[in-house]
Amino acid sequence: MSALNRFNSLAFNGLFRRNSVFLAGIFASAFVVEIAFDGVSDRIWRNINKGRTWDDIKDRYTA
Amino acid sequence: MVVDCATSGVLRAHTACFPPHRRITYPLPCIHGWPCCSWCFRLTAAAAQVGQQQRFSATSANSNSTDIPDFSEYRKDSTPDTSRAFAYMMVGTTGVLSAVAAKSTVHDFLSNMSASADVLALAKVEVDLSAIPEGKNVVVKWRGKPIFIRHRTAAEIAEANAVNISELRDPQLDSARAQQPEWLVMLGICTHLGCVPIGDAGDYGGWFCPCHGSHYDISGRIRKGPAPLNLEIPEHVIDGDKLVIG
Repeated sequence: MSALNRFNSLAFNGLFRRNSVFLAGIFASAFVVEIAFDGVSDRIWRNINKGRTWDDIKDRYTA
Repeated sequence: MVVDCATSGVLRAHTACFPPHRRITYPLPCIHGWPCCSWCFRLTAAAAQVGQQQRFSATSANSNSTDIPDFSEYRKDSTPDTSRAFAYMMVGTTGVLSAVAAKSTVHDFLSNMSASADVLALAKVEVDLSAIPEGKNVVVKWRGKPIFIRHRTAAEIAEANAVNISELRDPQLDSARAQQPEWLVMLGICTHLGCVPIGDAGDYGGWFCPCHGSHYDISGRIRKGPAPLNLEIPEHVIDGDKLVIG
């Protein structure tokens, strides 16, 4: 049995066999995926706009 | 289905072949004709003699060609779980992405409807209490409504506490209304029909509503007249001399 086959049967038996586990897994991963996606896209956006955001120029206007 | 007549079926004498040998009959067509014989594809002379076509390219002419070929090269290296796991993985991934999309859609709508930061900043009012002498009222505007701030004297505090609350229309202790007994902060809107009561007036030394004659005492509790409830207390925090309403 190859590693892929082991992974497949593990995934099927552990995650997909019961609908309750499947659904709970979907919501749990949605939570994680959202945080990861937001974090990564925010970081990219900040990187593109470096030097132009309020956080970067705040020192000039606030004591 | 192709069967090998050399290995299966009933063996009988085959008179058409030369020399006569055993003929094989069986219910399924054989790959080299029906009826067939296990030898005739080799005994070409005999086959030609009885009018059978010689089969040069019959695959069965090659030895063991009727064996089931080895398909292992073309088979998926899989268990019964492989395809299922893949299908469920695709379904689950779609579910995850839809859940994220649905959540952010709802979140966008809700955050669009809630108050923005500049509105929230205007929603609070700061008052310097040190400028209000004892025994005086101050009215400030908060979210478009008047707020009564009363710096109460010790006598007024004692008077507010002396009231038997079981006789009140809207029973409420003075301590439940004033965070610090000397400072009473109330929403200056009559609970009857929304007029603004007058300070230092009325039969109970508190507020009087000129519209329909509601009398409020020095704690802002309704004592006489049509109003059903005490004057409302807004959310506020007193920190030393600084009062923050909202």
